[in-house]
Amino acid sequence: MFMKWIGITMLILSFPVRSAEIHYQMRVDGLACPFCAYGMEKKIKALAGVDKHSVVIELNRGIVSFVADTQVPLTGDVLKVLVNDAGFTLQHLETTPSIKNKASQ
Amino acid sequence: MAFYRLLQGFRALFLLVFLASAAEAHDPIFGIGPHVLYKAGTEFHLSISREKLANHGAEAELEVSYGITSDWSAGAGVSYPEAASFHSSIFTKYRFWRQDTFGTQESAAIMAKVISGSREKTSPSEGSEESDYILGLAYGYEGRKWYRWASIRHRINAKAVDGNDRPDVWLVDFAGGIRFVPSEYHEPDWVWMLELNGELVEKASQNAVNMLQHQSANQWFLSPGLMWTYRNLAIKSGAQLLVYNNVKTDSGAVEYRAHLALEFHF
Repeated sequence: MFMKWIGITMLILSFPVRSAEIHYQMRVDGLACPFCAYGMEKKIKALAGVDKHSVVIELNRGIVSFVADTQVPLTGDVLKVLVNDAGFTLQHLETTPSIKNKASQ
Repeated sequence: MAFYRLLQGFRALFLLVFLASAAEAHDPIFGIGPHVLYKAGTEFHLSISREKLANHGAEAELEVSYGITSDWSAGAGVSYPEAASFHSSIFTKYRFWRQDTFGTQESAAIMAKVISGSREKTSPSEGSEESDYILGLAYGYEGRKWYRWASIRHRINAKAVDGNDRPDVWLVDFAGGIRFVPSEYHEPDWVWMLELNGELVEKASQNAVNMLQHQSANQWFLSPGLMWTYRNLAIKSGAQLLVYNNVKTDSGAVEYRAHLALEFHF
């Protein structure tokens, strides 16, 4: 029995450690100029868990994307308020897992 | 963390109460636009201008703005005119309508500004010790390529020191802009503008301080300008050229204004 538990524990430890990073891609309306879009960058970077180097604003596609590792995934409602505070309108949100193998780093 | 929040709170309170802080951002150079600084953003605006009348000289101005909400900003400024004594101002702007679509933003806002009294150096009787007020309404369309704005302001002037009238002024502005190259976020951005600015001085009800104010003077200016930005830094410049004037002046000098501004927000 004891050996069985040791075996299970070793099996669990043998899995690579993974974080719950999520890639957020937002379709934002109203993005017309880079000077105004700075507020969007500032708001996103102020969020806890956001990888500050991952924030990308594509004005010509109306896309804002970033990677965040938060305990609870950011919801559409939270991001809608954030985008509105920056002076724009969130049109669409897509999230995809951004699994990073921390063990390999 | 609590101390940091306290500091943030004090900063916001200071800006709101003492500076009554707002923002100009991507607006025309001589007219006004409906753009409002993002919530909790702070903007510094430093400008130098040459007044149109030769005896009015140059003026330096520093304004600080704060985004109270994403649609409401407020600010304060100080001006150092060459021809008059130092004066200060507080202003606010509220965007009451905004429509965002892919790559465009269309909006409208109202604004108000209070300018403290200032005495003219060359002609002290022309200045006023009381405050002037400006109320305005602005519409704007911003796209990835085209811009257009329209605005109207009413400046309510206080009486001069000697009791003479300083007539109210209507300021009417139409502006268009174009971005020839649709730059991306981390690239320098150039927007070329052309404005038509009208200054319509109401007829003075009593003795006015000068001839222009005594008659109901209408002046229209054509104003080419440029706005260069890089992320949160902007440089705006433009010149205002007189194209119509219904009152003859005896100075004979070419009347124009020039404006150079540096804006930074964070």
